Amino acid sequence: MNELHPLTQAIIAGKRKEVPDLVAQCLAAGESASAIVEHRLVPGMAIIGEKFKLNEIFVPEMLIAARAMKEALKVLEPLLAAAGVKPEHIVVIGTVEGDLHDIGKNLVAMMWKGANLGVIDLGVNVPPARFVEAIREHQPELVGLSTLLTTTMPAMRDTVKAIRDAGLSVKIVVGGAPITREFAREIGADSYAPDAGSAVDMAVALLQGKA
Amino acid sequence: MNPAGSLKVRLPTGEVFALPIHPDERSLAGMLSAAGLSLNTRCGQRGLCRGCEVELIEGSLTVDGATVAAPAIVKACQARRDGHGTIRIPARSRVEHRPQVGETFAIGIPYAHQPLFTPVPGGRDTGFAVDIGTTTVVVLCVDLVTGAILSRAGGFNEQIRFGDNVITRIEAAAKPENLAAMQRAIVHETIRPLLLQAAERAGRALERFAGGAVAGNTTMLHLLVGEDPTSLGSAPFTPRFLSGRQVLAGELQLIVDGLSPEIPLQLLPGIAGYIGADIAAGVIATGMAYDEVPSLLVDIGTNGEILLQSNGQLSACATAAGPAFEGGGLRCGTRAVEGAVSELRLGLNPFGLELKTVGDVPAGRAGGICGSAYLDFLAMGRSSGLLSSKGRFEPAAWEQVPEPYRHQEDRERALRLPAGRPGGLTISEVDVALLLQAKAAIGAGIETLLETAGIRAADLGRVYLAGGFGMHLNLGHAIACGLLPGLRREQIRVVGNTALAGALLALVDRTTLEEMATLQARVEIIELNLVPGFEDCFIEHLSLP
Ligand code: B1M
Repeated sequence: MNELHPLTQAIIAGKRKEVPDLVAQCLAAGESASAIVEHRLVPGMAIIGEKFKLNEIFVPEMLIAARAMKEALKVLEPLLAAAGVKPEHIVVIGTVEGDLHDIGKNLVAMMWKGANLGVIDLGVNVPPARFVEAIREHQPELVGLSTLLTTTMPAMRDTVKAIRDAGLSVKIVVGGAPITREFAREIGADSYAPDAGSAVDMAVALLQGKA
Repeated sequence: MNPAGSLKVRLPTGEVFALPIHPDERSLAGMLSAAGLSLNTRCGQRGLCRGCEVELIEGSLTVDGATVAAPAIVKACQARRDGHGTIRIPARSRVEHRPQVGETFAIGIPYAHQPLFTPVPGGRDTGFAVDIGTTTVVVLCVDLVTGAILSRAGGFNEQIRFGDNVITRIEAAAKPENLAAMQRAIVHETIRPLLLQAAERAGRALERFAGGAVAGNTTMLHLLVGEDPTSLGSAPFTPRFLSGRQVLAGELQLIVDGLSPEIPLQLLPGIAGYIGADIAAGVIATGMAYDEVPSLLVDIGTNGEILLQSNGQLSACATAAGPAFEGGGLRCGTRAVEGAVSELRLGLNPFGLELKTVGDVPAGRAGGICGSAYLDFLAMGRSSGLLSSKGRFEPAAWEQVPEPYRHQEDRERALRLPAGRPGGLTISEVDVALLLQAKAAIGAGIETLLETAGIRAADLGRVYLAGGFGMHLNLGHAIACGLLPGLRREQIRVVGNTALAGALLALVDRTTLEEMATLQARVEIIELNLVPGFEDCFIEHLSLP
C-alpha cells in the first residue's frame, strides 16, 4: 500500500491546525478542489470509518478527525461551489423538531461528506414541514433524521410520516442514541444506523441499491 | 394453556409465580417491572450494561430475534417471551439496595429564626424539609421553635420504576394514567413512609406537624403536584410553573393518620426548566449569592447544573452528563451502593492496583464499580501513562500490565480488577469513551460558562461542589481528568446536598425563600446549544489532559 498523503494522515490523526496549510500545499501543487476531496479526504474518512468498525477508534477520536476534515472543507467548499462542481449524490440531514442536540448529527454529516456525498444540513429543531420543503427543493436521494432525546422520538415519527404523506420517494435513514432498529422499522424509516460509521455504509448501500 | 406460552419466575425465596401476560409489554424487564419486580435497568433498557441479567433455568426466550434455550444468562431488557420458560432473578439484578442518601450538607450563611409556619407551642410546632431527587428523597423533621433538626429519613424515589432519569419520566408522563401513578409514587409511596419514619425517629406525633418545605428539580416538582411535564421534554423546554407554590397535604393526597390535610407544603421556586428549585436552594444555602469573590456552584448528576456569581451577577447553564458517573451504560458500572468499588489506586511501574469498596465489603464480593472509582481510573490511568490522552491503553504500557489484569474481548481491551464476579470486574476502553463524554459535558459546561462571563477558573474565589457524587469523588482526580478544569483543590468546598439545605433554610427562615424567589429574574441562562463554541469545547474536553 502506498504511503498516505500527509493531508490524509493529518485528517486521520485529527491534526486540524496542520490541515489548512496542507490543503494550501495541495492547491499550490495544482490539485483541484474536487481532486483533493476525492483523493485526500475521502480515503482518510474511509480509514476512520474502517477503524471505528474494528473498534480501533471510538467516537471521541472520530469527532476529532471529523473536525480536521471540517477545517479542510472550510477552504475547499467555496472553491467547489465556484467551480460549479455538483456532487453525484445529494443527501439532506437534520435534527428533528424539539431537539437541539447536533454533535452526533454533525458527525454523521461530516462522514457523509467524507464519502463524497453532497450534504445539505438543515440544522437542529427542524419541523416536519421544513424537511418536506427541503426535500422538494433539493431532490435528495436520501434524508437522515437524528435525535438524542427519547421525548422527541415522536417528532421523528411525525417527520417520517410527513415525508411519506407528501408522496416523496426519498430513502429515510434514522439514528441517534435512543433510536433502535425496532423503532426505525415501526415508524417506517428505510434504515437505521447505530453510529456514524454505519451511517456511511448504510447511505452508500441505499444509494447503490437505487442505482 | 394460553398461546403465548407461560413464563415463570423463581424468586430468591424459592417461591415460583407465573408472569401475567401484558399485551403491550415489550421486554421481559418490562413484564417484570409491571409485576412489581423492577430490575436494575440502569442503562435505560438498551442492553448496554449487565444490570438486569436473569438466569433462564428452563425453557426458552427470544433475544434479539433468536431463540435462546436454558440454561443461559440473558439481559431481561433484551429478552422477550418465547413459548415456555422459567427464570431466576439473581439478587444483584433487583433494585432493592438502599441508596447512599445525601443527607449531609453545609449551610454557608447565618440565618434568622423566622419559621415559615408559626409554631404553636404545645400545638403544631414541627415542620419537615424534603429534597426530592430524581433518584433519592430525604425528609428532615425540624423543631420550628428551636430550628433544630430532630431526625432524618431517606430512600429511593419510587418513581424510579418509570425511568431513572428526568427525560424518561417526562416521557412516561405523556400517558395520563402514568402522571397520576407517578404522583402517587412520590407522595404516597415515597414521602409518606419517609415522613412517618422521620416523625417516629423524632418522637413527634403527626398532629404536631405545621407544614413542610420541598426542594427538587423542575420535573420532580411538576410530578409532585401532578402537573404535566411534557413541555420540559423538548425545546424550548418551558416549564408549566417555576414559582414557589403552596399546596395542601390533602390536595396532594398526602394522607397520613394524624396529619392534618390542611397543612401546607411550600415548594421552593425554580430558576428555569433545567435549573430547578434544587439549584435555587443551593445558591442561597451556600451563600454564594453574597460572595465578594467570583464563585461557582457545580452540581454533578445525570444533568449537571453550573451557576456562576461574579460581582453579584448570576449566570447559569445546564449540561447533560448522562448516567455514566452513576454507572449507567458501563460494563460493570453501578451506583454507589454497598459493595461497589468506590476507590481505586493504580500504579504502573511497578504495577500496583488497590481497591476500596463502599462499606468495606471484601473485594471478592464487590458488585460493580461506581463513579468515584472510574474517575480515579481516568486520572491515575492517565498519570501513570497507561491511558493516552484519547483514553486508549498505550500499547507499550499495556504490555507492562501483568497478564491476570488484562482482559481482551473482540479487540476491546479492558483492565481487569481482582474483584467481584468470577472473571473479575473490568474497565474497558469503551467504558472510558463513555466516561469521557460525561466528563466532557461537565468540563466544557464549566469552561463555556466562565468564558461567556469573561472569568478565568483561576480567578474563582470559591467553587461549591454540590450533590452526592461531589461528596465521594477524589477532588485531585476530578481536577486532573478535566471534570473540574483548571481549578485548584483549595478553591473547592464540598457542600453536599444543598437542595436539602435550602429546604431547611426556607422552613426556619422564610426570608431566604423570598431571596430564592428573586433568582429567576436575576440569573441569566446560557443555553449551551446556542453557544457557537460549545461543540468545539466539548470535543476538546473529550481528551484527558
Ligand atoms: C441520520 O442517521 C443518523 C445515524 C446515526 C446517528 C445520527 C443520525 N445521529 C446520531 N447518530 C449516532 O452517530 C453518532 C456517532 O456514532 C452518535 O451520536 P451521539 O450524539 O450519540 O454522539 C455524539 C457524537 C457525542 N455525544 C453527544 O453529543 C451527546 C453527549 C451528551 C453528554 C449530551 C450533550 C453533549 C449535550 N446535551 Co444532552 N447530552 C446527552 C449526552 C449524554 C451522553 N453521555 O451521551 C443527552 C443526550 N442529553 C440529554 C438531555 C436530557 C439534555 N441535553 C441537553 C443539552 C445538552 C448540551 C447543550 C449540554 C449538549 C449538546 C450540545 C450539542 N450542540 O449537541 C438538554 C437540552 C438539549 C436541547 N436543548 O435540545 C437536556 C434536555 C437537559 C439538560 N440537562 O441539559 C439526555 C437525554 C436523555 C433521554 N433519555 O433522552 C442525555 C442522554 C444525557 C442525560 N442526562 O442522560 C450516534 O447516536
